[in-house]
Amino acid sequence: MKKLMWILMFLAFPAHAAPLHVVATLPSLAAIAQDIGGPLVQVEALTSPRQDPHYADAKPNLIVTLNRADVLILNGLELEVGWLPPLILQSRNGKIQKGALGYLDAAQFVHLLGVPKGAIDRAMGDVHPGGNPHFLSDPRAGARIAVGVGGLLARVDPSHATQYQQNAANLAQQLDALAKAETARFAQLPANRRNLVVYHDSLTYLVDWLGLRQTATLEPRPGIAPNPQHVAEVLQAMKTAAIPVIAQEEFYPQNTAKTLTQLAHAKLVVLPGGARFPAESYLAHIKSLADGLYDGLKP
Amino acid sequence: MPHLNILNRQRGLWLAGVLAMLPPLGAAAEEPADLAALQAALAADASATTVPASTSGGESPLMPSISLIFDGAAAWFSDRDNLQQGGHDPTRTGFNLQQLELHLESNVDPYLHFAANIVWGPDGVELEEGFAESTSLPGNLQVKAGKFLNPFGRLNPTHPHAWHFVDAPFALTKMLGADGSRGLGTEFAWLAPLPWFLEVRVAVSHPDPDTGRSFVGTAAKPVHTFGDLVWTGNVRQFFALNDDWSLYWGLSTQQGTGPASASDTTQIYASDLYLRWRPVENVDRSALSVQMEGLWRRRDWIGRQMDDWAGYVQAVGEINPRWEVGGRTELGSGVTDDPLDPAWTGKRHRHTVQLTYYPSHFARLRLQGSLDMPSWRPEPIYACMLALETVIGAHGAHSY
Repeated sequence: MKKLMWILMFLAFPAHAAPLHVVATLPSLAAIAQDIGGPLVQVEALTSPRQDPHYADAKPNLIVTLNRADVLILNGLELEVGWLPPLILQSRNGKIQKGALGYLDAAQFVHLLGVPKGAIDRAMGDVHPGGNPHFLSDPRAGARIAVGVGGLLARVDPSHATQYQQNAANLAQQLDALAKAETARFAQLPANRRNLVVYHDSLTYLVDWLGLRQTATLEPRPGIAPNPQHVAEVLQAMKTAAIPVIAQEEFYPQNTAKTLTQLAHAKLVVLPGGARFPAESYLAHIKSLADGLYDGLKP
Repeated sequence: MPHLNILNRQRGLWLAGVLAMLPPLGAAAEEPADLAALQAALAADASATTVPASTSGGESPLMPSISLIFDGAAAWFSDRDNLQQGGHDPTRTGFNLQQLELHLESNVDPYLHFAANIVWGPDGVELEEGFAESTSLPGNLQVKAGKFLNPFGRLNPTHPHAWHFVDAPFALTKMLGADGSRGLGTEFAWLAPLPWFLEVRVAVSHPDPDTGRSFVGTAAKPVHTFGDLVWTGNVRQFFALNDDWSLYWGLSTQQGTGPASASDTTQIYASDLYLRWRPVENVDRSALSVQMEGLWRRRDWIGRQMDDWAGYVQAVGEINPRWEVGGRTELGSGVTDDPLDPAWTGKRHRHTVQLTYYPSHFARLRLQGSLDMPSWRPEPIYACMLALETVIGAHGAHSY
């Protein structure tokens, strides 16, 4: 049915019209845009899922990519602050400058977690002042972003507004259904199998979605590499509470986690850092995240 | 038709801008029907360009991005009369303030971005840079105006925060100036419509002795005419060889009136190369980069012609987020009876190694040792430095 819909859309799409050029900073955002835009859009991701999005290189070829973009979708909350702003400025592209129609900060659609209360400073680590930016591992956030991206594409390309909005609504519905199904599956786990340790505070939304409990991070504070004293404390806590899993994305170092899981008789679950765009859809990525974590947590 | 829609909107904005510069509607000689059509078009554009909120939280409303960067070093030199020329270089045995830099930047409006670097150094406070830059001119153009570092070579347009060694290469401090090449002026940058990155920059700026020592602009010989301004040209190309390897290559030139008399000219030509290997999938964020710049200068000086050259090659290994190691070798020629550097009569070699520790992304401790071998001095000069850098405030972006 979905294939038939795309074929009909493709036939309805004038052969001479160039697809909308969508650039997303992260592969998961690119996958969402591709799911919604189908053949009406040409999507590029600026980073790889195997790359920590905090620390991408601001390569000048990305300026060329941004120069030709009709739409830029970014994660926001300063996740890309270390490399994206000069690229946008040097792109000379008025369509994607901040405040322009084609500039979309995905974080605006998300119910944010980890928003600091009160004054913050860097003694607390590399804290994101607007809240935790790692929401793309939560399909509930993904659903809201999908609707936002559908709305954006409809505004930029009103002649296909209905298709974009319908596809966005369909994707949001599928993500919500998956979110509920996985929440129910994880709720079947014994209570002591729903605790985990993470490397960085980057699985906060995933943990919240699946009803899990994050008991510690290997980083003593966000962005500060693990140190022996803190790791010893985490090990003790893992042993005491029989924590079954350390979970982390593939772009974080694994040596410390491997040693800790051996010493604490736990499992190390290495999760994909994002959708394998363009081969993988966002929905499939979320399913693989949940499956990977479930396999690690199940007795 | 997405593109057509956007094009119409841009045309509408242009139309609105042009109309804003015209006398009020009705005062001109347009027909009433035209006036009504124009007013309707303006109203339509105003509603079409109203966009929903598109940014997330976390930023203070209307506050510029502000950061404060401190660079200081404890240093030891085997010879008190060392040859450090850079404005941010440690120059004496003991403690050295390299700079305290206040960086501010923000969008001015939808068309301009502004950035400023105010620097406290050993000689007081100075506006190092303060410039506005266009965000979205047609034709892939970008225009900068104000006081800024000239687009010459790879290192000159950057600040000490982006350097991998405590001091600047002598090729740059000797030929461009203690503070590099910068000044009040304007710059035009064009991005070529090619599948790869090719950018052409042309800048014209007002030289002074610290920021354009090879040119006119001293107190004794100030700039008198537009012909005394310094012209800088730069072409840069970037090649992403694959996901892990990339190559950045630039050609630069500076042309202007020499410091001695209005009939003298100075020409500087340079090429720079930056080869970087950073495996995207490496969890330690390891990288290896090799960077080199070579400069050649010709000066006419009251009936005499002087040619000299200098350059450096450096290799930097980023082992992991905490550790970095690097080596640099420099070589430069000298000219007998050079009025700018009278003692510098022959070749100079300098070799430098550094080891850097980053406690976090916002601080670094750099230990550096160097062996300087000027051919005109009987003994080499040894130096050792331990430099501290701290950054507070906004997280600045790193250019490539």
